[in-house]
Amino acid sequence: MNKIMYLEFERCIGCRACQAACRECGDHDAKERNYVEYVDFTESRQTFPMLCMQCKDPACARVCPANAIQITEEGVVLSAMEEKCIGCRNCTFGCPFGIPKFDFEKNKMYKCDMCYDRTREDIAPMCASVCPSDAIRFIDFDEMQQLRRRRTQMNLVEGKKPQEGNKWDYVPEFFGVYTDSQS
Amino acid sequence: MSQFLVKEGVKNQIRQGEKLVTTHCCYCGMQCGMHIRVDEKSNKVVGVEPRYDWVLTKGKMCPKGVTAYQTIDHPDRIKLPLIKKNGKFVESSWEEALDLIERKFKELQEKYGKDTLGVYGGVSMTNEKCYLVGKYARVGLGTRYVDYNGRYCMSSAAGGFNKTLGMDRGSTLPWTELEHSDCFFMSGTNTAECHPTSIQWFWKAKDKGAKIIVADPRETATARIADVHLDLLPGTDTALANGIMHLLIKHDYVDYEYVQERCNNFAELKEVTAKFTPEYTSKLTGVAVEKIIKAAHIFGKSPRSVVMFARGVEQQVSGVDNVSLYTSMALLRGQIGKFASGVATFTGQGNGQGGREHGQKADALPGYRKINDPKHVEYVSGVWGIKPEEMPKEGVSAYEMFGLMENKTIRGMHVICSNPVVSSPNINYVTKAMEGLDFLVVSDFFLSETAELADVVLPATTWAEDEGTTTNIEGRVIRIRKVVEPIGESKPDWEIIKLISERMEKGKYFDYSEPREIFDELRVASKGGKADYFGVTYEKIDEQDGVFWPAPTEDSKGTPSIFQEKFATEDGKANLAVIDYRGPAEVKSKEFPLWLTTGRVVFHYLSGNQTRRVGFLMEQCPEPFVEMHPELASQYQIENGEKVKLSTPRGHMIVPVKITKAIRKDVMFVPYHWGKHQSVNQLTNPALDPTSRMPEFKVCAVKLEKLSK
Ligand code: SF4
Ligand code: SF4
Repeated sequence: MNKIMYLEFERCIGCRACQAACRECGDHDAKERNYVEYVDFTESRQTFPMLCMQCKDPACARVCPANAIQITEEGVVLSAMEEKCIGCRNCTFGCPFGIPKFDFEKNKMYKCDMCYDRTREDIAPMCASVCPSDAIRFIDFDEMQQLRRRRTQMNLVEGKKPQEGNKWDYVPEFFGVYTDSQS
Repeated sequence: MSQFLVKEGVKNQIRQGEKLVTTHCCYCGMQCGMHIRVDEKSNKVVGVEPRYDWVLTKGKMCPKGVTAYQTIDHPDRIKLPLIKKNGKFVESSWEEALDLIERKFKELQEKYGKDTLGVYGGVSMTNEKCYLVGKYARVGLGTRYVDYNGRYCMSSAAGGFNKTLGMDRGSTLPWTELEHSDCFFMSGTNTAECHPTSIQWFWKAKDKGAKIIVADPRETATARIADVHLDLLPGTDTALANGIMHLLIKHDYVDYEYVQERCNNFAELKEVTAKFTPEYTSKLTGVAVEKIIKAAHIFGKSPRSVVMFARGVEQQVSGVDNVSLYTSMALLRGQIGKFASGVATFTGQGNGQGGREHGQKADALPGYRKINDPKHVEYVSGVWGIKPEEMPKEGVSAYEMFGLMENKTIRGMHVICSNPVVSSPNINYVTKAMEGLDFLVVSDFFLSETAELADVVLPATTWAEDEGTTTNIEGRVIRIRKVVEPIGESKPDWEIIKLISERMEKGKYFDYSEPREIFDELRVASKGGKADYFGVTYEKIDEQDGVFWPAPTEDSKGTPSIFQEKFATEDGKANLAVIDYRGPAEVKSKEFPLWLTTGRVVFHYLSGNQTRRVGFLMEQCPEPFVEMHPELASQYQIENGEKVKLSTPRGHMIVPVKITKAIRKDVMFVPYHWGKHQSVNQLTNPALDPTSRMPEFKVCAVKLEKLSK
């Protein structure tokens, strides 16, 4: 797998198709693992999606005392293994993005696994497949680099130049989530 | 029966023991491509798989599309005919239900004449079915009274396009060209919520530098990212469009060569728009002068632009005028009939395009023919095998039918694929009119609010249990495939129509054994009309990713872009709209001092009869709400989440408040997907556009009250 999960928050239209689609993934037990929130509905309709960053050194796996959270050879951080998870919920507190969720009925953690049964066959995860706005994409590493460069390009085309105090507006506000590009 | 269709090199996930069937979503006009997953052993629908290679939508779906399959094998499905006995529905056999319908229909017609029966159709079904509804009313039942829910949806767009361009195809260009446009002028369309998968095309264009102008009283998701957001007062579109055209003329953005060669009425238009200075326009619309000027310059400078609109401008008493004026903006810029430019409306219902073309409308016959044109009647009568004098006369529009029920002109009714006691304006009146019917038959697959009032409910199938075609938002005819056999004893609408027609001794006109035969008849019935389907075949649809009508000959490949050389008017020229400002039918008063507008949310479709039964969608949006600006809320001392009372002279409702700055201070918004006491259509104004007879859902004066503790 040499693909990037690529989020562009600004594009999100808040339709929550990504959440509905997450439930449709075969291994997902009809439970969604991503979320979409308003930044502040009183101010505007801007929403943003959040899903697992598939961290290189995942906090959830680190804080798991039972070693239940496996990382695949491609670098995908999976849901806790049923037989190992002791239900301590450390992972849900450890993750800075609030991704792992807890199933109280089964006493077990579950999380975004990038639709591993799809992505390992190079088929896009459900959320990225359906997102009408391309706020979530599943793309090649090179395409990601290109997209990042284009944002700066567009600013230049429009004659915008960063000033002291607004530099951050010129940093692409999206970021990639990628597994090892070698494999 | 079923097929899985993908282009070379496209990978889909096909799980063991499952097969995929290629089709399209059942909801909005985008008609997103999708594959439906079927378990091979049990033959049950188990889920959805993206259709990555469908040209228009590329696998993308909104949450309604993703969950659409859940309505197929839903526990609420009606599986047997229901007959009301002593106020309660009792399951019955088809035989018994048809016996009763035959007896009642015949009794009523013998006593009160043929026209005592009415047919109320819908366009969330295939072309085959929509076509048959018109024929069923005129030939099967022999009544003049037939109309359909598209009257509330697309009729003003149709009226406006016919006036200006001479033909009503929702989009003059294929939407795959949109990414090459330089500017979108979008008015009264909350496309991010109502047609979510269209957004990908706007982003593609925006990524290349396209500009977006949005006119809407609310700061919708598209308005938020627009270069200019024209936050106009509801019902003031005539002023806004005239104001923009004033500036196009003033700043010399008019394509004079195009206008001279291809348009009528320029001098008159210039005269009427003369007074619409930015200041005057601003006074009427409530939009800041600078914004109007900025929008006109952006639009005027763009080499390729598309003017787009939807129900926001159409569901008004000046709906047809609004459409004509916005279309004229595109004409002044010389845009219609060219690459990546033109004019388009966002079709609300799945088959809102095809469903309005083939004679479901009170005054229409297949192929956009007219029932009051003797030549047209003669042609269609020939196809149907009746005598021209047997063809009933023109009927009345959807809302006007309720008046005829009230005065007992219409005493019996068959509602097919629609839920008018939720989707009509002023539903307190509409519900009473329907309750007063002597006999009501409703075909549906869930017990809608309208079906609850019926004497007989006939179990129809969902879109996945039958095959046929629909015509999407672009005017592209596409194929809906049968995924599973009908659930329980439900039957597709065409079969129900056939069965009733047989009982009415008209069986020989409805002798179909599958939808393809109906389509072949439709092809001939529409031949030579404006919406000409003669060259469209199921095979061609598969081969070339759909067929754009008109396709007038057997070997025609269809017409993706229309009006390239001339318009469909008599002289081939477009008629620029010469129309002065006209405000909404209702004005604010001391008693009703605020504006109310209505619309959709992304999680629900139309009257909600389907989407209110889907778990995910109900979790996201279980009930209606009223959106208001914090400044307004503060004046009434209202807090977020608090319940308030809204009233108009027609009715009132109690709803929770959502406070947001993303709406004008003097306007409130309530979505319309719920029935009975939760319905905002208790409040809406049934004032009709004089041409299209479309009600003014989008504007009424309203009173807001804080409830005492
Ligand atoms: S599907 Fe895309 S646009 Fe819709 S909520 Fe998710 S990220 Fe946002
Ligand atoms: S409702 Fe419309 S946008 Fe949503 S999936 Fe269906 S066709 Fe597509």
